[in-house]
Amino acid sequence: MTENKALLKPKRKKIASLDRRKARAGWFFILPFLIGFVLIYLPMVYESLLMSFHKINYVSETGGAGYSLEYIGLGNYLDAFTANQAFSQALVSGLKQLAFDVPAILIFSLFMAVMLNQKMAGRAVFRAIFFVPVILSTGIMETIASSDILFENADGSGGIDTGTGTSASNDLVSVMDFEQLFANMKVGTEIVSYVATAVNNIFDIVNRSGVQMLIFLAALQSISPAIYESCKIDGATAWETFWKITFPMISPMILVNGVYTIIDAFTSSDNVVMSYINGVYGGGPGAATPSGGNAQSLASAMYWIYFLMVILIVAVIASIFSAFVFYQRKND
Amino acid sequence: MDSQNIEKKPVVKRESKNKIKVDFDRSPLKDRLKAKFLSTYFLTKVIFTIFRLVLMVGISYIVLFPFITKISGSFMAPEDFVDVTVLLIPKTFSIDIYRAIFTELGYWEAFGNTFILSFSTALVQTFICALIGYGFAKFKFRFRGAIFMLVMLTMIIPHQTMRLSMDMQFRYFDIFGIVRLLKGGGIEFFGFNLADISEGVGDFFEKLNVLPDEIKFGRYMKQIGTQQVAQYRVDMDITQAGINLSGTYFPFILLSLGGLAFKNGLYIFMLRQFFRGIPDELEESAYMDGAGTLRTFIQIILPLSIPMMVTVFMFAFCWQWTDVFYTTMFFPTSATPFLVKIVSLPTPASLITDFAGTDLYNTAIRNTCGLMIILPLVLVYAIFGQRFLVQGIEHSGIAN
Repeated sequence: MTENKALLKPKRKKIASLDRRKARAGWFFILPFLIGFVLIYLPMVYESLLMSFHKINYVSETGGAGYSLEYIGLGNYLDAFTANQAFSQALVSGLKQLAFDVPAILIFSLFMAVMLNQKMAGRAVFRAIFFVPVILSTGIMETIASSDILFENADGSGGIDTGTGTSASNDLVSVMDFEQLFANMKVGTEIVSYVATAVNNIFDIVNRSGVQMLIFLAALQSISPAIYESCKIDGATAWETFWKITFPMISPMILVNGVYTIIDAFTSSDNVVMSYINGVYGGGPGAATPSGGNAQSLASAMYWIYFLMVILIVAVIASIFSAFVFYQRKND
Repeated sequence: MDSQNIEKKPVVKRESKNKIKVDFDRSPLKDRLKAKFLSTYFLTKVIFTIFRLVLMVGISYIVLFPFITKISGSFMAPEDFVDVTVLLIPKTFSIDIYRAIFTELGYWEAFGNTFILSFSTALVQTFICALIGYGFAKFKFRFRGAIFMLVMLTMIIPHQTMRLSMDMQFRYFDIFGIVRLLKGGGIEFFGFNLADISEGVGDFFEKLNVLPDEIKFGRYMKQIGTQQVAQYRVDMDITQAGINLSGTYFPFILLSLGGLAFKNGLYIFMLRQFFRGIPDELEESAYMDGAGTLRTFIQIILPLSIPMMVTVFMFAFCWQWTDVFYTTMFFPTSATPFLVKIVSLPTPASLITDFAGTDLYNTAIRNTCGLMIILPLVLVYAIFGQRFLVQGIEHSGIAN
């Protein structure tokens, strides 16, 4: 027995050392991130937080300007709410927009991913077209699209002079039509108006659900066909198969996509709150006049308020939904 | 098919050396067609196919329509914009806008700069993110989950939040105040200013007289005034502190090297999921043969993951190409032209008109600029991108 133990011991040690070596290799591989995080990212986050509590005094405006910070406590944060009503308004409408967009984008991208996963003629072409916005409708194109009056003209009734631009005639469907359509069905008016608005915003939704579609598509591809086959043999309909098999299997990805969509929606520059804060930062139109601090530090404070709100929302939603997520494998 | 028909033996109609044509006695054609096309199964299938096709074509139209209007507008002459009968097809065909973009807005120079920037950052980002993603996917070490949460955090906090500090960080770039120390400034880290020490060190360097003049004269100046100003980059000649990286490619490269650039958290996540799908046996056999971890990664894993790498590279390349935020932040002046900046340039002189539809015409010019910006991306996407995009994502096992 003792001999056996003695024989076993060095062996075990060797395994441990291999583990340690692998752990060291792991640290080596993530080293770029760690260095960057500590040397560049953390100071940036720290400075940004710091600036939101200070007033920035620019030493000289011309040339390479310097600045110093003057501590004003929570002044910027109070300013954000008291001195600018527009900020609270933008915040509320931004969160409303978020609550509207996220389910619409999720449902649409899941639906389209299921469609694109089926065998049909021209699938490759449709896929290629649907992923165009992921590549092309970002950054500068978003900015251009936001002021594209040519597109609005062609999209609407066709006349050059449409007046205010957002007339009811430009909508694809009107809420009234929908209400008449659904009058005999026992559904709430909220759902009706939600669907109507979603249809009218279809362009926006399609443009912003590219990455989500890709992730859902990958998730669908990873479900084993054997499961579907056995379902078919057992006589399940397509509807049942979707809810009993597909939906649980991709539920982790619904969570991932939900979080991604929220983050993407609130960091995109065409977001109401983002564009408002960007306006404050740049001192452009809609900029507030800060009483204690100055524009940039006020904008920093606003960014942090907004960020904390969204991280709170993400945390709440993620914790609620992760209870319903189905994982096929428990470990890893 | 009736049972009596089946019992009849098949009739051989024609027979050759290696082919035989057999005619079964089947039910008449009319019945067969009826059975096939009038079933509910077939009908639902047809209806569903048509519905799907309409939907697909409709949504494709929604996706492509803005591009169609941009293209049609780009070929219109100014008088077409006041003509109500012109909607999509120009009446007076003109390529003035394109000509102006090439000759007056300096397209090619901006193209070159943008290409160098996008290509280099995308290359660095793809490699670094692969490295980091591989580290998270295949090695167990302490705090792995926590550090991965930090990666996610870098994606969650929008860089706009840190706009000012990011700008300052690279305008007065410095690590641990080393540069500043060499210049005789105060060491500061996280706001703690160790001015006294640096005074001494600065004096020391000054006495040694080894530093070049421009560094030596950037001495840290004492606190001015009595007001309690935060001791943070205060009252020193800021232009002398750190290295000014604003207006160079370095901020982009440095951010990419740390895996901190635009959407890098997403790339790390994608690549990590991909690497997790690769069986461990591959690496184990490589280790058996005596390869180190880095060598295994470069020689075994990277060649396997080319579709995914191309996907990530394409994302990084295209998103950097159209990015406005970083480009305008790190290149605030127009000294180095970039493609995204040609949109906001003033209208080219040859295109200024006094027609009524000036607003529309200016929009068309802006749209055409946008088209010219994304044209190279369209080519990249059409040639090899979309094949790899779908393939890479399909085999990524992102869902695992």
